[in-house]
Amino acid sequence: MPVINCTNLSKEYDDVEALKNVNLEINEGEFFGLLGPNGAGKTTLLKILTCQLQPSMGNAEVFGLGVNENYSEVKKKISIVPEQESPPSFLTPREVLELVTSIRGIENNEIDHWIKFFELEEMEGRVCRNLSRGQRQKVMLAAAFISKTKLMFLDEPFINLDPLVQTKVRNWLKEYVKKGGTVFINTHLLENAERLCDKAAIIHQGKIQSLITLKDLRKQNLTLEKLFHEIVT
Amino acid sequence: MNKLILFRMLQEEVRLNTSFASGKGFFSFPILVLISGFLAVYFTEEMVKDMGYYEYLQILHISAIFYGMFAGSLAFFGNEFLERIFGYFGLIIGLTATQPITQRRITFLYFFKEIIFYTLFTMIPALAGALFGSFYTHIELNNLIIFSFTLFISFCTGIAFSFYISSLYRKSQKYAIFGALIFVAIYSIIFYEYEISGTLEWYVNNNYNFLYLGLSIPIILSFFATVMIQEHNNESVITIVGYKNRFNEYCAKYSWAKRICLPEIIAKERIDLERSKTGTKMFFSFLFPLGFLTFMNWFLDKGLPIQIDFNTIFYGVMIGFFGTMLYSWLNSIDTPHFYSSLPIQVSDIIKARLFLFGTITWWIPLIFMTLISYLSNELRLLPIGLIVMTTVGIYIVNYTALSTGLKTNSALFDAFVFIKFFLISVPPMIAMTILSLAINHKPSTILVALSVICGILALFSMIFYKRIDLKWKNETFD
Repeated sequence: MPVINCTNLSKEYDDVEALKNVNLEINEGEFFGLLGPNGAGKTTLLKILTCQLQPSMGNAEVFGLGVNENYSEVKKKISIVPEQESPPSFLTPREVLELVTSIRGIENNEIDHWIKFFELEEMEGRVCRNLSRGQRQKVMLAAAFISKTKLMFLDEPFINLDPLVQTKVRNWLKEYVKKGGTVFINTHLLENAERLCDKAAIIHQGKIQSLITLKDLRKQNLTLEKLFHEIVT
Repeated sequence: MNKLILFRMLQEEVRLNTSFASGKGFFSFPILVLISGFLAVYFTEEMVKDMGYYEYLQILHISAIFYGMFAGSLAFFGNEFLERIFGYFGLIIGLTATQPITQRRITFLYFFKEIIFYTLFTMIPALAGALFGSFYTHIELNNLIIFSFTLFISFCTGIAFSFYISSLYRKSQKYAIFGALIFVAIYSIIFYEYEISGTLEWYVNNNYNFLYLGLSIPIILSFFATVMIQEHNNESVITIVGYKNRFNEYCAKYSWAKRICLPEIIAKERIDLERSKTGTKMFFSFLFPLGFLTFMNWFLDKGLPIQIDFNTIFYGVMIGFFGTMLYSWLNSIDTPHFYSSLPIQVSDIIKARLFLFGTITWWIPLIFMTLISYLSNELRLLPIGLIVMTTVGIYIVNYTALSTGLKTNSALFDAFVFIKFFLISVPPMIAMTILSLAINHKPSTILVALSVICGILALFSMIFYKRIDLKWKNETFD
């Protein structure tokens, strides 16, 4: 069953065509990676799918709900880690997680677990604006992971994280997908995409240039990096 | 290199402003100023007849100085505002971190850019309007141009004063207060027996020494301000521990308000308000416009043949209007981007901020109102003043919230938004001001009229509030 479905999706910003007729289908339980060079349209597509931007043309559905018309419903069913880490400046990490669980109505929440998972115990008492970029990114990831949604959008989630935490996050995401969750990840880090994704698309100049499963790619003795270079250069 | 940096800074300023407001809205602003300049000159003869020639010129100069100070403080607070809201904005002024250029030089260029920007976008259009208006009056073109030049120097004095204070403020708050007091004291001593500014003294009495003095004040202030800028003064203090988790406590405290808006958002915004210490800034931001009003009141009392009674009710109207500032402060505490990851809408945040405006920040206007009515020996008028203040405040803040959402500061840069705001806010304020000034002549009639206007404003407030959902429900946090 497709959890994300885009048909002829386009987005124009004044003179710039950021997305051109994007058609995409992502099924439940897939780990999907959207790859592309800077300015290819990755974040624009993610923003449309997460109700942060309206498309100029075409249709986008998440869990069968049009993202334009069902803003509130879609937002409840997804969690997002945006490209720019921006947890509330004046809340402590624990307070951020309390805010998220309270708004999402999550009972039996696992705040202590996530604080420990991301090694944020020592940050208790500090407000987020006094944290480093990596620590703020951890708070954003914790806020997404604690939301217990079935679909997760991650925009460059590994940037700013140290290698140990990257491994932890990768492992957790793998488990999450095994249990039926779906991940839509935007990344430049082809190595991470190769390790994690079942399916990947390469977007360039607003158009999806290639949509492949990683299994097929391996059968053809190709790597994501090779394919990426072939398409983009 | 300086020329290039200056040029790029100007480009940056224009692009920044057009990204806040629509391009059309921003570029229409000078047209508004041009019309104001035209009207000011068109009605000059009437004003001079009522006020007196010298008093009128002085009022224009006082306004130019305060306008300069306002523009300068906007640059100063503007930076802080930008940093908060768009922490990721890379502005040219931040180049010192990565490029071999001194803070002293870049800050001076930044300030120079401010003067050019405000001159191009406000002073020159105002002059153009004034020149156009002069064809319909008996004012000599030559005189008008020379007087405009004197006004420009007063504007520069105001903006340079802000630069001077902001550079002292970087060292410490004490330095800023002390520096401001010293400057005001020296200025008062020099000009005590003369006109309010050096260039006006020269214009009126042909005293050339004062022309040189008037010209040198902004230069001296800018020089001191530039010299006092240190190269490594951006060390921000990081508080490691000390914040007690208060989210759940506030959530429980505001659970009664869940029919109005989400208690979680109120709790978050309340914590923001407390920890950012914005309450203090809100309090002090009232001092500037109130100081201006009080000064004008004193000046008009002194200069006009008839007595104008700016009473507690009048201040109620004004302080109510300043509610816009409180709402604007609430919008500039933190970036709302995090909310985009939650299943909530822009209108939820607007309502939470309106809730905080009504329940948490009320003490600021209350203190000023009580103080003013006590000092004017008008405590009997305080209850009416408070009702007027509350009604005007709720009306204006609801409209501000409806029309500008979470981007009050930037949205008001859009001429179209500003004109609408002007048309909605000014007529009731004028009506109430006129009524307040006549309170001692026919108290009962005036009270009835005030009540009717308050009733109408309350009704409109409700309409504005109800439309917030409709307008902002589907907006994004970007």
